[in-house]
Amino acid sequence: MTEEKGGLFRAIKEFVYGLAAHDSARYALKSRASMEHLFILITMVDMMGVPIVPPYYSLMLLPYVVPQIATGKRRMLREKDLTDALA
Amino acid sequence: MSLRGIFERYPQRRYLMFGGKGGLGKTTFSAATAYYLARQGKKVLVFSVDPQASLSDIFQRDIFGKGPTEIIPNLYAQEIDADKRIKEYQEEIRKKILDMYGLEEIPEEIESYIQAAAAEPAMEESAIFDEVVDIVIRGGYDYYIYDLVPLGHALYYLSMASVYDTWIDKITALRQQMREYDQVAAVLRRNKELEEDAILNELLYIKDRINKSSQILTDKRTTAFFFVLTPEEMVINDTIKAAQLFAKFDVPYAGYIVNRVLPAELKKQRIPDYLRNRLSMQEHYLKVIGERFGDQVLAQVPEMERDVTGIPMIEKVARAMFGDF
Repeated sequence: MTEEKGGLFRAIKEFVYGLAAHDSARYALKSRASMEHLFILITMVDMMGVPIVPPYYSLMLLPYVVPQIATGKRRMLREKDLTDALA
Repeated sequence: MSLRGIFERYPQRRYLMFGGKGGLGKTTFSAATAYYLARQGKKVLVFSVDPQASLSDIFQRDIFGKGPTEIIPNLYAQEIDADKRIKEYQEEIRKKILDMYGLEEIPEEIESYIQAAAAEPAMEESAIFDEVVDIVIRGGYDYYIYDLVPLGHALYYLSMASVYDTWIDKITALRQQMREYDQVAAVLRRNKELEEDAILNELLYIKDRINKSSQILTDKRTTAFFFVLTPEEMVINDTIKAAQLFAKFDVPYAGYIVNRVLPAELKKQRIPDYLRNRLSMQEHYLKVIGERFGDQVLAQVPEMERDVTGIPMIEKVARAMFGDF
């Protein structure tokens, strides 16, 4: 009985979260991910042959972005904009 | 006001720089000023930001890449070995990656990036810049004397601080904005613990260092930049142009020192025409310097009878700059 009550309470909590906050949380995380993308672009773009100032300090940040480098590169190569559609 | 007067009036100016075209006496004046201050009981570090430094030559000691080396009591000199600094830095980055991810070896893609980044043209200057930031932040000396590179490069070096300053401010602001989104998501998801943003922390660390260094280079209260020139037309013209450019970067220049002045008494002696012409030319350009820079000319240092290397000659130049001490 108590277990059923707990389950119901959890379900209501999930429902309220889904109704009120889920979309906003998703939006925040999506914006966060886009900015992460932008951040990698700004700090690590020289990996793609575009020079950037100053490489000395981007090297200092390298250890923290090691996991993102492979996915970041993939995303950037996949990225399309309006001009691609017109071409 | 005399050069000595400037030092006595503004003792809080602890960061001193001598700038000018190549071969005019920047290293000589840096060493002589360091010598004068050390003899006044001040602990001084004179260091070179020039990859082709000549402090080793002037002090007749091999100090390249050896860190601050004591020359005489209170006088320390340092020549930065940029290559060594870059290698140590690369190694530091590799070690951090291995430790952070528990890896046995650096992934190929990352390793090639580390190697390529070290070969970037601006890497050497950046490494020297960063070492200087280290030196001034570490502290421990009453005075820091920058033996600068020739004018154009010096401007590049000094402007680096303001360029880096702008870059780091922008990039840190972006990262902070990212952090705010993390916080919003965490609140909405009722996550109490928000993981630390290691990149933001590292950026704030870099920002603090760059901001401090940039402040030092532009703070009139703590920094004095002296132009070194000789009584020659091209040198005077270049110095005027450089002073205008330096003003754009808020470099706090404190005055001008004229070097290589031939003793006027020579004119009274029997001397060849060649030397007499040089003396007349010098007389004219000293007048031009006086008209142009007025009381900002702090000292006139005579042409020495021999190369300025070794402590006795450095002392002689120091006496010519500051008077007897």
